[in-house]
Parts: sequence; C-alpha cells; structure tokens
Amino acid sequence: MNATLVHERPVGRVRGLLSSPLATYHLLVGSTTLLLALGLVMVLSASSVESYKVFGSSFVLAQRQFMFAGFGVVLMLVISRVPIASIRRLAWPLLGGSFVLLVAVLVIGVSVAGQRNWIALGGPFRFQPSELAKLALVIWGADLLTRKQTMLRDPRHLLVPLLPISGLIVALVLLEKDLGTVLILMPIVAGLLFAAGAGAWVFLGLGALAGAAIALLSMGASYRMGRFAAWLNPDADPLGVGWQLTHARYAFAVGGWWGQGLGASREKWGSLPEAHTDFIFAVVGEELGLLGTITMLVLFCVLIMSALKLARDSQDFFVQLASTAIAAWIGIQTLLNLGAVLGVLPITGVPLPLVSYGGSSLLPTLIALGLLMAFARQEPAARKALADRARKRARASSARRAESAGAR
Amino acid sequence: MLMVMTLIVMSLLGARLVELQAVTADGTATLAESQRMRTSVDLAQRGRILDANGAVLATSVIARNITVDQTLVKDAAAEAEALAPILGADPLELERKLAGTKRFAYVARGVTPAVWEQVSALALPGILSESTTKRVYPSGSLAANVVGFVGRDGRGLGGLEYGQQDLLAGKNGEMTYEVAGGGRRIPTGQEEGINAIAGSDVTLTIDRDIQFEAQSAIAERVREAQADGGTVVVMDSRTGRILALASAPTFDPNSPGSSDPADRNNRALTEAFEPGSTAKIMTMAAVLERHVATPTTRLTVPPTIKVSDKLFHDAEDHPTEKLTLTGVLAKSSNIGTILVAQKLTPVVLYSYLKRFGIGERTGMGFPGEARGFLPVPSSWSGTSLPTIAFGQGLSVTSVQAASVFATIANDGVRVTPSLIASTTDPDGTVRPSAAPATRRVISPSTASQLRTMMEAVVSEGGTAAGVRIPGYRVAGKTATAQRYEPSCKCYKGYVASFIGMAPADAPQLVVAVSLINPRNGHFGGAEAGPVFKDVMSFALQAQRIPPTGTRSPVTKLTW
Repeated sequence: MNATLVHERPVGRVRGLLSSPLATYHLLVGSTTLLLALGLVMVLSASSVESYKVFGSSFVLAQRQFMFAGFGVVLMLVISRVPIASIRRLAWPLLGGSFVLLVAVLVIGVSVAGQRNWIALGGPFRFQPSELAKLALVIWGADLLTRKQTMLRDPRHLLVPLLPISGLIVALVLLEKDLGTVLILMPIVAGLLFAAGAGAWVFLGLGALAGAAIALLSMGASYRMGRFAAWLNPDADPLGVGWQLTHARYAFAVGGWWGQGLGASREKWGSLPEAHTDFIFAVVGEELGLLGTITMLVLFCVLIMSALKLARDSQDFFVQLASTAIAAWIGIQTLLNLGAVLGVLPITGVPLPLVSYGGSSLLPTLIALGLLMAFARQEPAARKALADRARKRARASSARRAESAGAR
Repeated sequence: MLMVMTLIVMSLLGARLVELQAVTADGTATLAESQRMRTSVDLAQRGRILDANGAVLATSVIARNITVDQTLVKDAAAEAEALAPILGADPLELERKLAGTKRFAYVARGVTPAVWEQVSALALPGILSESTTKRVYPSGSLAANVVGFVGRDGRGLGGLEYGQQDLLAGKNGEMTYEVAGGGRRIPTGQEEGINAIAGSDVTLTIDRDIQFEAQSAIAERVREAQADGGTVVVMDSRTGRILALASAPTFDPNSPGSSDPADRNNRALTEAFEPGSTAKIMTMAAVLERHVATPTTRLTVPPTIKVSDKLFHDAEDHPTEKLTLTGVLAKSSNIGTILVAQKLTPVVLYSYLKRFGIGERTGMGFPGEARGFLPVPSSWSGTSLPTIAFGQGLSVTSVQAASVFATIANDGVRVTPSLIASTTDPDGTVRPSAAPATRRVISPSTASQLRTMMEAVVSEGGTAAGVRIPGYRVAGKTATAQRYEPSCKCYKGYVASFIGMAPADAPQLVVAVSLINPRNGHFGGAEAGPVFKDVMSFALQAQRIPPTGTRSPVTKLTW
C-alpha cells in the first residue's frame, strides 16, 4: 500500500483504495465471501426446523448447503484463474450442451413444486439445465458480440443470431414452466445489448414484447395470478396466498432494529413457507434485524457495483459485455427476490443469490462470480500488481529461507 | 447509468426495510405476537380416594379425548370404518359424529394413550385429540355409594367426589406460549404460566374388607327378600368412624350412566324412614335417666291401650302380660313402652331424642344427607308422645340410628360420625381430620343398663335370638316399622331393621342393618338379623377384637 495515502482525508483514502489496481477483485472476493458466509449461517438457522421435520435431524439441509458451497467455492477459485481466451473457447460447447440438456429435461426431467425442470443425478442431488443456460448465454452472447464488435452499428448484426438463439432458450425454459429463470435470462440478454451499445428503441421494443409475453403467461397459470393478486393486496386473504407475505411482514416487524438473535426466528417454525429458500431474507430480518438486512443489502450493492465497475473500467469488450450481463443477472435476481419478500413485487419464486438454500442456484452464481474474478485479475493493472506481489512474496520467502539457513 | 440505477433501486429496497422494520414494526409485531400466543390449560391431577389402609378406591389416569374438526374430514364413512374397530364403536354412529361443518366435536372421550396411538397412526384428516384425565375406580362398585362418581368433565357429581370436589380437584394451571402455523409449540419462544396444583388425596375411615362383606351380605339379602333396597352401617363406637357404609342395590362408578339414579344415592344417609322399635331404646334411656323405672320394674301390659282417642295394639295380639322393663324391650312391646313413656313429659322425651341427634344432620358432611324429622313438642297431639315413644311419627337415617346405638355403646357419649380419616396434600403432608365433636347424652350407668337390657333382645325370649355370635356378647334391637311412602302419603310396606353392638360389655363396633320393603316377611329380627350376624362376625375378626370372655347376665323378662 502506498504510504502517502495514510495522511490523506478519509474520503480521499477510500477513493484511493477504490482506485488501486486490485480494488475490484478484492471487493468481489470480499462481498462474495461475506454474503456466502452469512448465507450459510442463515441457511443453518432457517432450514433447521424443515430439516428436522423431513429428515429427523436439524443439520441435513445445512450440511448439503455447506457441501454445495464448498464445491462451488473451489469451482469459483479455479475459474478465477482461467485465462479469458480459454473461457471464450467454451462459448459454443456450453450453448450446445445447454440445448441438449434443456431438451433432455423435457423428456427425462422430474417435477419439483410444479416445475418440470430437474434432472435427477441420483440420491438427493438434482440439476437444473436452465441454470447452466444462464451461464451459457452470458459467455456465448458476450463472445458472439465481441466477434461482431465492428459490425454492431448494424441492428441486424446486433440482434441476429443473439435474439433468435436466446429466444429459443427462453422458449425451452418456458416449456418447463420455469418463469423465474426466464426473468433472469431476459436481463442477461438486455445486459449484453446494453453493454454492446444498443439504442433505446431496442429496449423499448424488447420490453413491450417481454411485458406482453409475461402478462399472457401469468394469466395462463392460476397460481401466478394468485401471487399477483396477493401482492396487490396481501391482507385480502391472509390465510391463503397472502399468508406467506403476511408472515414475512411479521418476521421483519418482530426483528425490528436489532433482531431477535441468531436462531430465534419464530416464523421459521412452520408459519413462513420456504423460510430457508425464497423467503430466507425474512428470517434474516427477524433474527438479525434491520442491522442485518441493511448489511446484506449493502453487500449485494457492493457485489453488483463491483461487476458494473469492472464493465466500466475494462478495455476488453468481452469483459464489458459479460460483466454487465452477470451484473444484470445477479442484480435482477436480487431485486426480484427482495422485492417479493418485502412485498413490493409479485412473488416470482427466485432464490436470493448466495444466501438462499439450494445448490442448483448457488453453483451457477459462484461460477459467474468466478468469471468476474477471472476478468478482474486479468485487467492489465491488476495483472501487473499480482505479478509484483508474487515477486515480492517470492523474494520474502527466499530471504526467510536464507535467514533460516544462515541461522542453522 | 446502470450504477446509478442500482444505487436507486437498492436505496428504495433499503427504505422499504426501514419502513417494515422500524416505522411500522411495533404495531405489526404486536399483531404477530398476539396471533402466536396460545393459552392452554395445565390439567391438575385429581386427588385419589383411599380406604383406611391406603387401598385405592378412586384414582385418575392420563387419557385422551379424541376430537374432530369436521371441516377437515374428507370421507366420513371411510374414516368411521377405520376408527370403529379401534374404538369399539358402531361405524354408523361414528360417521354421524364425523360428518358436518363443526370445527370441534368429541368423537370419543377418555380413551387410553395406547388407543390414541393406534388412531394417531392412521393419520386420518381432521381427527385430533386433547389430553385429559380419566377417573377410574379399580374396585368397581366397592364403596361406590360413599366414593361417588364424576361427570364427563371430571367434576364430582355424587358422593364424596362431589362433596370433596374442591379438595380433590386441585387447581388447573394455565400456560401461555408461542405456536407456529401448524399449532406446534415454538421451543425458543417465550412462555409463562402458572403450574397446576394437584388435588389432595382423601383417606376414608372405610375398611375395604368390611365394606366388601357388608355390601355382599346386604346385596344377597335384598335379593332373597325381594326388597327395594337395604343398608348396612358399621361404626367404630369409640371414635365415630364409619368402617363400612353399604347401600344396595349399588352401581359401578366407572359407568354411572348405566345405573338407576336411585341406586347412586347413599341410602344410609340420604333416606330417612320411621325407625320403629329401635327408637324404643331412646325412650328407655329417658325413662332410666329420669328414674321413672328400672330394668326390673314390673309392668302389667294389657292387650290394647287407649290413649287420647286412639286404641294401640302390639304387633301380635296377646293376652295381658306381666313383663319387666327389660321384657318390654326384649319383646318389643308397644303397649309396655307407652305405659312407661306416659310417665315422661313430651319436652323430656323430645330433649333426649334431640340429644341423641334425631332431626339433625350427623355432622359428617356428606352431600345430600337427610336431616330426618322430629316434630317439636308444641306441635304434638295427644297421641304424639306414645307413637314417638315406639318409633312412629319421626324419621331417621340409618346412620343417625346407628349413631344412637354407638352413643349407648360409648357409655353415653355421642361422637359425631366421620367418613374421612385424613387428607394428603400433593406434597405428601398428611392432614388428619379434626377430632370429632362429642357430647354426653346419658350417664354411663344408664348406658350400661341399656346394653344389658338389649342383650335380652338376642336371648332366648327376645325378638332376635338368631343373631347371637358364638363367643361374643351381643346387644341389639330389632325394628319393624311401617314404611311411610311419600308418593301416596300413606303407610306402605315395611322397613325391617336390626341394630346391635359387640362385645356388649365393652362395645367397640355397632352394626346397623335395614331392609327396605322386604316382600317375603317383615320382622326385623328375621329379615335384618342374619346380615347383622354376618357383618358383625366379619368385622370383629377384621378389627381383631377378642371376645371379652364374660357371660351375659341372666335377666328376667317376665314376673
């Protein structure tokens, strides 16, 4: 660290830290680690009752989540070391694999909670091809647009084949009745287009199309209409669809400023459905209070802003596109989840990234964050700083070796 | 631009959080807590009822009431079919209980935990349970008319279960705690409440073995004599403790509903009847106390006697007899009794009857106890004195009558009869009943003379020669009273009784036997005597009372 910074004013100091070459990387690692750690603690707390009810032990679900997290963190760390060029080479294989699996799931998939979008892997392990599709769309889309970088002024090159292919993926996911994933896939495409400099008319057109499609689909499924009605007026039917929202509101209110304390949630004892998955934020609110929820909100803010900062600062067009897409993915997923739990958006059934229980959501998120970390490490300034640090460490350790050898 | 949008959206979410967790939190949190709080009753364990030696006559066990939320029942017929074999109930009747729109109704009350486990294992929708306690009477009808019975809600409805309700019931506690959606208690939630205070045990003076003998003997006699009913009172004359109190026919307190309500009463305490000749003993007591006559006073007893406007007879016609006062009692002569009673004033006779406890409750505190009837002297007509002297125109309960004889047995001191020996607090502290009130009624010598006179009753020339118990000296009195029937306000049938004590020279036990409306005879000695003999013999053995080894004095009945 630069010694002169120590004497500057605090604001200047923060600015100085943010402008350091590895700032983005550290912010990504820091916010990811804290959110994941907080998430694991909350899953342990919020899943204990459900876990005991189903498995006779309070720790089964938490153990699984720890396993998912351990596996995911290793994947994330490995991916964060992979060169960008290698990542880009995976674009088409990922897309192809996603197609095959999305079609396969329609044939051999199993249904969970009304959505036929899981492939059983034996035992308690299942896999959702639609989650892989998110990653594939990010990498393939960014790679595609990067190749066409010089031709993007022409709307035909901008939109084709990006829109037809992603449209096909969306259609397949819709066949699985997985509206939640569609709501993430669309922001990914929008993020790609935005970073590629698409004009406002593109977004207006796509927005209108997507809005109409969602409205139509929502009308088609009664449970979605119910969720929508409950969102509009949660008190109308507090024992029916509004139940979950009412109890989420109770949880936040009971939590108050400082919370009831870790483990002390009352709502998780069966009153609040999906307490450890989609509605885990309500349990955070009840146990850790406003202090905990605002902390978590700030951590998400830091995570998303870091991704956007990476997109802004990078000179690599692929990094700009992919980072924006991932920021849109994580950002919109966070917004949809928190909005639903806080009762300001309809319930769409998307989990809270890094926090909610479920390996199927956690693994792709950690991989996406691993990609962001890889991008951040391969920024020229960061690369140089990492090389310096490695050299310094090598020197220090050889000096220590020499010292200890001398002492002998 | 995206960064600004992110910050704005996050700030809006943050603002919403502040609204939910700070601004509107208090009201919502109060609502949430009030919905979570549940109050349940912590049932107090009802005290047991024990016999004098600690044998359990009534106790409470843990049980379940099976209930139904009819709105959750999907197929009442199928559920009834599944429940019927476990509950041993009629499927159609069960189906009626399950079908409907009530959120709460009883399906079966007081089933054992094992039965509920079987029902619970079926996991039938809408079938729930509540914990409760069930009153059980391990000895069935033994002492049932003393112990009483409880209603469906576990409150005492008869006997001491009713009389000692407050003491037995204890005090239910109340628990307030938080529940989750499914009604499950939240272990980490707050809870507060008052623990239940268990009821006290009540230990009776009743001896189970003597009670059994008394019940069996009277039940059999009632059957043989085709009587309406019968009672036996066994009393320790020195302490006033009632060792047995039988009433036949009786009932099973485990299922009181299946019995005749009249059989649930304790006839020895709740039914008053004209005592008849056993009342002569009180007339004799007054005569001796007032020195109007002695046991050997010679009386000439005519076949009939006219008092005021009424002509009195004896039970059996006879020529003029020459009887001693002892002979008058031994032969139960009405006319002889009238002859000596006429030497007393109404006020004197009344005051002795009163001091023997006639016309007032015994003071043992049994619910529904009858007071009996004794008219005040100012209302007496010309024939009142003679009729009351031989036991008509007044009424007593069996226990009151037994108490009169116990007073004579106890050298003239009346001890208030008692049924409860002690109570035991839930913490084990034993609280003996207060010493019973005592009062002197007649002098010891009068009492002693009366006992000797009563020994003559069971002598060869007496009315109850058949009740003698080998080895023991027995004193007693027969009675054959016309029974006053309240429904027709007329005399109808008889009450045949025998009340006696043993050993006659140092009495410890009094046994009073009454047979209500026997159909195949009505003389007290013949009808009630055998029961007296059975029960007294058994009680003497059970109480380990040895014979005194003395011989009855020879008394002259005639001259």
